[in-house]
Amino acid sequence: MAWQIQCTASSPPASPPPFTPKCLPPRSLFFTLSATSSSRFCPPHMPSLRSVTCSLSAVESPTSTAGLDDSKTPLLEVKGLTAVIAETKQEILKGVNLVVHQGEIHAIMGKNGSGKSTFSKVLVGHPDYEVTGGSVVFKGENLLDMEPEERSLAGLFMSFQAPIEIPGVNNIDFLHMAYNARRKKLGEPELGPLEFYAYIYPKLDLVNMKTDFLNRNVNEGFSGGERKRNEILQLAVLGADLAILDEIDSGLDIDALRDVAKAVNGLLTPKNSVLMITHYRRLLEVIKPTCIHIMEDGRIIKTGDSSLAKVLEEKGYTSISAE
Amino acid sequence: MTTAEKSRKKHYKENTARERMISFCGELERWEPRPYPCRCFVLCFRPLCPLANSEFASPSPLRKSTAQPWCCLLRRAAGLSRSSMAALAFTHQNFLQFTPKLTPSKPKLKPKRTKTKLSIQTIPTSPQASFTDQFVLQLADSLEDSLPSSSSLPLQKLRDNSSETLVSTQWPSRKDESFRFTDTSFIKNSDIKPISRPPESLAFLDVSSDAQFKSFDFVDGFLVDSSFDSSNFPDGVYVGSLLKLSSEGILKRVCEFLGDFEWGDLFWSVNGLGAPDVTVVYVPEGCRVENPIYLKYISVEGGDGGSKKMPVSNPRVFVLVEKGGEVGIVEEFVGKEGSECYWTNSVLEVVVGEGGKVRHSYVQRQSLSAAHIKWTSVRQESTSTYELVEVSTGGKLSRHNVHVQQVGSDTVTELTTFHLSVGDQTQDLHSRIILDHPRGYSQQLHKCIVAHSSGQAVFDGNVKVNRYAQQTDAGQLTRSLLLEPRATVNVKPNLQIIADDVKCSHGAAISDLEDSQLFYFQARGIDLETARKALVFSFGAEVIDRLPYAFVQKQAKDHVKELLESTGKGSS
Ligand SMILES: Nc1ncnc2c1ncn2[C@@H]1O[C@H](COP(=O)(O)OP(=O)(O)OP(=O)(O)O)[C@@H](O)[C@H]1O
Ligand SMILES: [Mg+2]
Repeated sequence: MAWQIQCTASSPPASPPPFTPKCLPPRSLFFTLSATSSSRFCPPHMPSLRSVTCSLSAVESPTSTAGLDDSKTPLLEVKGLTAVIAETKQEILKGVNLVVHQGEIHAIMGKNGSGKSTFSKVLVGHPDYEVTGGSVVFKGENLLDMEPEERSLAGLFMSFQAPIEIPGVNNIDFLHMAYNARRKKLGEPELGPLEFYAYIYPKLDLVNMKTDFLNRNVNEGFSGGERKRNEILQLAVLGADLAILDEIDSGLDIDALRDVAKAVNGLLTPKNSVLMITHYRRLLEVIKPTCIHIMEDGRIIKTGDSSLAKVLEEKGYTSISAE
Repeated sequence: MTTAEKSRKKHYKENTARERMISFCGELERWEPRPYPCRCFVLCFRPLCPLANSEFASPSPLRKSTAQPWCCLLRRAAGLSRSSMAALAFTHQNFLQFTPKLTPSKPKLKPKRTKTKLSIQTIPTSPQASFTDQFVLQLADSLEDSLPSSSSLPLQKLRDNSSETLVSTQWPSRKDESFRFTDTSFIKNSDIKPISRPPESLAFLDVSSDAQFKSFDFVDGFLVDSSFDSSNFPDGVYVGSLLKLSSEGILKRVCEFLGDFEWGDLFWSVNGLGAPDVTVVYVPEGCRVENPIYLKYISVEGGDGGSKKMPVSNPRVFVLVEKGGEVGIVEEFVGKEGSECYWTNSVLEVVVGEGGKVRHSYVQRQSLSAAHIKWTSVRQESTSTYELVEVSTGGKLSRHNVHVQQVGSDTVTELTTFHLSVGDQTQDLHSRIILDHPRGYSQQLHKCIVAHSSGQAVFDGNVKVNRYAQQTDAGQLTRSLLLEPRATVNVKPNLQIIADDVKCSHGAAISDLEDSQLFYFQARGIDLETARKALVFSFGAEVIDRLPYAFVQKQAKDHVKELLESTGKGSS
């Protein structure tokens, strides 16, 4: 609970930019900074019971990268989040609680239509949804107050379950724009096209993508697997403190899954975290989660360690929702 | 089909299905991005049209569209003359009008309008000599006086015919169907002055030309001799003045076609009377010309923005590609810096012989105070190909009339056009593709952006699939992007199908930028304004990318970017 104390005892608001999003190897110092700004934006609060469960299982888990419990820094704290579809006002999220600490890997599983994608889209500020209650604190700041691009610049990245096509916009131009937006935010000079090409070129290997994908329009005519790789390429180029990967594994062949998992693992540091949504244990075997959450009808109904995936695979969701 | 083509096709299909669709046959509608509900309906002549029976929902809370799918099959007995066909069109209108199903969504359809329609369709174009228009007579006189009489027979014949037609033609008014949304009074109210000679000094011509290809320069409608350089072309190719054409053979061929066109309007005739010369591009049988023929039209004489003075130039080019020949034509229209108020009234005639191919690039970036009227008339013999890519951004009033006439089977026609209005501008495309023979393929994509509250875009795209044009594959799609509250677009895509074994699709979409696409940018940290700019630009880039020559493409891209930047209307 060290973070809570820091939160209250933080320095005055005359602070440098509240965060330093990471896009290059140099690490951001968001730990201190986030503690600073959290004093302005969020009152201290108790972590939910569920997050405690999660922390416990994280300790037990051999794959845990987080250190001792009291040294953990929360990266994302979601409390009682409710959201509706903007157009119809139909409620999809019905009180989601979740805490992700630095360096942790979380997985969300759950039946089709249980609200997993909605949850991740709400986190990045998708206009299709309206938040009706609850709070989301990311690196100590109120995420819900931020524009989608600010959330991205703050270090939140979501790879879409179904990335859309943008006809007429070149893939490399798109990446270039996004990367320069990030550099601008960091106060660094923007890169020219050639410098950017030099920067991005090695990243292509990471996701095993051919150069000509750069000159095609964003996702236009891409196969399902190619779109997913393209999302991971964006993640590799932009970096993130928290990467939300929505079904990054569906539609991937076995080799592609290995490539993507390798890329994601390669991007992990002790400080950044992953929240992945998946239906399959396959992915969880290559990217080992700290804990697994089960979502049902807009809520997280169970949290456990990676053994939960095995139970699920053997007995199905009924065994869990019955509890 | 190449993959690119396939993906393009697929993309159209998806767009066609996904977008808010507004399709019209024969009915011109006015659309403005106002916060009141728009009505739209879908009307197809074919029962198998993909648009029929589809629901189109509008994601925008601003404009809820209620789509009223409608379908009717137009079957007819053979052997109807043109006028009876018009009668059929009339019946069709009636049919529409009195169909109760349609009434709730289209209460505005009044019989009055139908009548206007009928008169237009029955009288193909040839103006009736009811009474003369004094203004037009004066204009004709001044055009005649501005030029020395010509010793060239074909040119003199062209002038005589044009003059004869002009006497009985009226200046178009908003009552004329084809000028219903295009106000030409701006030209009429100016002090029109035919330009009788090219400027003395041509020092401004960019001799060092960084362009990869040397241009043939037209200054105020006159082809500049010094810009001649035919040596790069294969034997038998002629590019130059009709007056200086020495080959009897070519002259004879040119005379067969020159000015032979029944669909022209007043502006066509004004050009015929006012053209100082005809520039001939002749490609002999089986000859493939590698480098494009780059025609650059520069307006030098012209008043400043506020002046009433309006010098008019009438450049005219005639392209004849014999059997199996291939050529690329690049037309670029610009104004010299400082010259703002002028009128370019240009005509291009193209004849593509059997199996021949013409790639036509047309870039219009006149001054924003200029008037620009252009005719492109194309005659396609069997198995020939004609591809047009147009990017028009200039002119206070800019109108392109395209007429493609199929005179043999198995032709390929592609029209891809992009219009941009960043100011108080009207951009107008009137196109007509007439298919009279079997197995023709025609694809048309028209896109326009209106980025100014008093800007306007007009599109009237007619595709006629006549009785013998069986197994025609014709598609037409128009998409418009309105970026300002009062920006206006008037679209009338219309497919008239009489043959019964054809594959046709058409559609029109008027949209704002897509929220989901904007969000994708934002989700990657790009702010809304930058995202909007990129998307607006990419909307036009789809067309610009199809310009077949890199140097033309780059110029057009830079220019469009600059215009969008200058207004800042990429964002708002
Ligand atoms: N924009 C929307 N419009 C209408 N319904 C929506 C929208 N977004 C989500 N829903 C509905 O909300 C529910 C949750 O959808 P969501 O995509 O979050 O499910 P999911 O858990 O990601 O499912 P899957 O495992 O199939 O990806 C579904 O019933 C879905 O139909
Ligand atoms: Mg999902």
